Amino acid sequence: MNLIGQVITVVRKDLLLEWRGKGRLISVLLFGVVTLLLFSFAVGPDSTLLRAAAGGFLVLALLLSSTLGLSESFRVEQEQRAIEGLLLLPVDPIALYYGKTLSNTLFLMLLAPVLTPVALILYSVQLDLSGLAVLLGLWTLAAAGLSAPGTLYAAMTSRLQSQDVLLPLLLFPLVIPVLMGSVKSITLILTGDPMSQVGSWATLLASFAIIYWSLCGLLFPHAIEEGI
Amino acid sequence: MSLRAADSATLAVQTSKLGKRFGRQWALAHCDLQVRPGEVLLLAGANGSGKTTLLRLIAGLYKPTQGNLTIYGMDPDQEKLACRRTLTLVGHDNYLYSQLTALEMLQVWTRLRGAELPEAQAIELLREVDLDERRDYAVGGFSAGMRKRLTLLRTRLEEPKLVLLDEPFSALDAAGQNLIEEWIEGYRSAGKTVVLASHNLPRASKMCDRAILLQEGQMLWQGTGSELLDQVGTTV
Repeated sequence: MNLIGQVITVVRKDLLLEWRGKGRLISVLLFGVVTLLLFSFAVGPDSTLLRAAAGGFLVLALLLSSTLGLSESFRVEQEQRAIEGLLLLPVDPIALYYGKTLSNTLFLMLLAPVLTPVALILYSVQLDLSGLAVLLGLWTLAAAGLSAPGTLYAAMTSRLQSQDVLLPLLLFPLVIPVLMGSVKSITLILTGDPMSQVGSWATLLASFAIIYWSLCGLLFPHAIEEGI
Repeated sequence: MSLRAADSATLAVQTSKLGKRFGRQWALAHCDLQVRPGEVLLLAGANGSGKTTLLRLIAGLYKPTQGNLTIYGMDPDQEKLACRRTLTLVGHDNYLYSQLTALEMLQVWTRLRGAELPEAQAIELLREVDLDERRDYAVGGFSAGMRKRLTLLRTRLEEPKLVLLDEPFSALDAAGQNLIEEWIEGYRSAGKTVVLASHNLPRASKMCDRAILLQEGQMLWQGTGSELLDQVGTTV
């Protein structure tokens, strides 16, 4: 079986697990909504300020929710050491990595249809359909940029008791370029882009996503050399 | 080809001064082991004697701290995927996803090996371990023995040349233990190599060609299964 076939099998397995245990998706979604709500309380009723910060809040909600989702994705693997069962098969570890990263990206993309409308309502932002489509595209790039290093670190920390603390500590500094690119571009979509800068920020976001997907894919087999 | 290289190619497992250290503790040290193809080898020893470490080193789940290891002449470090096609390990863990059904588990394992498992064939396999009636049940609801039986099916699915079993009889009832004994006999007849670690010496010593006693990470003694029983009694 080629690499793509193995990646598809891992993604199908992860999506099935996600579907059967909807608890993770629901709890991560609720966490994201609560985060957005708390940000709006922190800023207060100033709608101008809320609108200006809406992009940043939306991306922060994605980032914070992603750490929950990423660590959960490997908790399932560790429950009965299922990941070890996969590593014992003649499967290229790269296929396991890209399968897990792809399913984590899809999982983070699923947050967009819920968190975006909540943010638009809470922060009084008007957005037309084309703007919404661009925002979803940027969200996808941000999700891809976060899940590539997130999956690698979640795998590395999955056997540690302090995973919940270590994962954000390792992940957040690494994803600063993704954070900057997504905050800037989504803010421009929400508040207006008179200088047409979204394209440049989206290019930056896509570039980092490609770099992370390539580098982390190369590092993953070494990270799991002694089992995860 | 030198004599040593020829031996290495014909042996199922060969280790030379193999050792594994965790922190400052040697879990296994200076292990020189040769396992012939088709041989059933029993690893005996008390808890912490290094049986599981040795099996995990052979399976490629651990990297040796010292020494060399070959599997059918292959270096697991250089030919990882080829080695994994050659062997299978059923360890203490069940390698299951609680939310998948027994049938889905078999299908995931088979697909990742690059094969397809028709449903009828999967049901036939599940029937062997008396789980065919529960094929559509999530394995999270299975008892420890049922999970163990399902995991042991990996050795049937994968058709490996080398079968590594760590405590294969644990959690199984008498019928389950008899079935595993039958399977091991079947592997022997098919020319497959079996290395098993077990505390169930009366049962395991009957079916092995050779037994090795490990103590504190060192190979202490080797002989036949009946000699092992004379040496250590029925409990280690």
